[in-house]
Amino acid sequence: MMELRLKPKVSGLSIPLEAEVISPDVIAGKTLREVEELRVYHGNRAETLGEYFEVEGEVAPNPEEQLIVVEGDVPWVKYIGAEMTAGKVVVKGDAGMHLGSKMSGGEIIVEGSVGDWAGAEMAGGLIRIRGDAGDLLGAAYRGSPEGMRGGCIYVEGSAGYETGTGMRRGLIVIGGDAAPFTGAHMNGGVIFILGRAAKRLGAQMRGNGSLIICLGEVEELLPTFVYDTTYTPTFMRIYLKTLSEKLGIKRAEEYIGRAFRRYRGDRAVGGDGEILVVERG
Amino acid sequence: MEMMRVNGVEIEDTFAEAFRMWGCRVIITAKNQKWADTAAMEMTGFATSVIMCDCEAGIERRLNEDETPDGRPGTAVIVFAHSKKTLIEPLVRRIGQCVLTCPTTAVYNGIPEEEADAMLDIGRRLRFFGDGYQVKMRLGDGWLRRRRFWRIPVMEGEFLIEEMLGAKKGVGGGNFIIMGVDEDSTLEAAERAVEAIHRVPGVITPFPGGLCRSGSKVGSRYPFLRASTNTPFCPAIKHTYLESQVPEGVNSIIEVVLNGLDEASIRKAMAEGIRAAVEVEGVRRITAVNFGGKLGKYQIYLRDCLGGEAS
Repeated sequence: MMELRLKPKVSGLSIPLEAEVISPDVIAGKTLREVEELRVYHGNRAETLGEYFEVEGEVAPNPEEQLIVVEGDVPWVKYIGAEMTAGKVVVKGDAGMHLGSKMSGGEIIVEGSVGDWAGAEMAGGLIRIRGDAGDLLGAAYRGSPEGMRGGCIYVEGSAGYETGTGMRRGLIVIGGDAAPFTGAHMNGGVIFILGRAAKRLGAQMRGNGSLIICLGEVEELLPTFVYDTTYTPTFMRIYLKTLSEKLGIKRAEEYIGRAFRRYRGDRAVGGDGEILVVERG
Repeated sequence: MEMMRVNGVEIEDTFAEAFRMWGCRVIITAKNQKWADTAAMEMTGFATSVIMCDCEAGIERRLNEDETPDGRPGTAVIVFAHSKKTLIEPLVRRIGQCVLTCPTTAVYNGIPEEEADAMLDIGRRLRFFGDGYQVKMRLGDGWLRRRRFWRIPVMEGEFLIEEMLGAKKGVGGGNFIIMGVDEDSTLEAAERAVEAIHRVPGVITPFPGGLCRSGSKVGSRYPFLRASTNTPFCPAIKHTYLESQVPEGVNSIIEVVLNGLDEASIRKAMAEGIRAAVEVEGVRRITAVNFGGKLGKYQIYLRDCLGGEAS
């Protein structure tokens, strides 16, 4: 891949910068000068990318071959990789809100943490977050019937409120703890929680294969999730192998062959989604 | 007829007449090898020849834990039928009756979509057994190869089956005939041949133990019977049947029949099988069954399979 580096010229902006142009789809095929002149918004002012970043490196002819490296913390930059379809973005620090929102392909790696709405309504591709994620990870935007529709988000740390709200398809893996209302309104898709799952898990979850798998403790399940059985489902092996082999989560293998308690719900809305909780001890 | 010799055994300069069949590889896994084999044996039962069976099927090989999708021991089965359409029903019935019923099993596709000529919706049909409680399992949407499975609740736990199974145009009716001085040497040669054949991927031998002692010819003297014993190759009547093709000194004959997912595999397997068979003392001649080129589109010459090497 051809690497383009963006070095932040400023830090700690109180008003965030909206820079959806930091995407292989936008940058590929342009000259370095054209990249510097790409439009970003600081508050209500239209400015250029070059005013906030030093631009160096190579520009690829097409998005598939474009690697963009943001060298440093940019929690003040929103929409990095939004709507991208291919290529790769690496942020060597924290990133702001809406990272990878509505993306449909390619890969984003954030070495720090991300703000709210990361991967919101994404349809494809892979987002890896080494730190923590804010609220509404992979969620549906307000007024939208569906959240994440495909792809994978792996947060090595913890995730905030309402992760995967309205999720339809795809996979979210939370390596740490999950805040309340994770998987609310899910209607498909899979969420793995390796840490502690907080209250209101899967609230108003419907069906369509909706599945939350808890490998850690569960603070409390809603009474509208009905316990069915404790068993060792074969399908779990496939998911756990995928986590290990495709995402490098080797500790997932420890759960292969373990028994799970199966709950169905949310019966409050006639849902037939599932929450599977690993049997302790 | 001109003969080449391998290890002193006559190889007739003739061909096996094979024909187009559609094949589907099914991977069965289970808690242990015993149950994977049990399901595979059941599934491939009564599937020797489409003359009387709904399909031809056999076990391809055992699979290690690192070769299966769920990391459990497995057994690969290949099922053949005349067409894509006629392949579906035997698969649904056999998986439904022999694998779904077998404790701890799961079923996966054994021919990836990019290698398949068609994808058959076998799992999608079998899901109805779940009576509405089946669960669709999705994997890889938008970031890995997209795969679909069905989880069907059963009394023992849950049956997992991949939604689509890959099928491809293969070759059926590959064969060769081992002629020996007595039953023991012929059987031993045939057993060694089958063992060698099973080292070739993509090939099965659908008859019992891979062997057919009662090869058939087309038609009979009875109007109601469309296939009957291969009289020219029956040693018991070699001197009373005028058109007998049993050489002097030969008293037992066994046919090895093989189907493969492609012609190259059949050729390779036939060569491996013949080379193993001629190592056994008492084997006099190897030939093959054909119908003068009238039945199948593939004419697999024994000489070509062996690379024309005489020794």
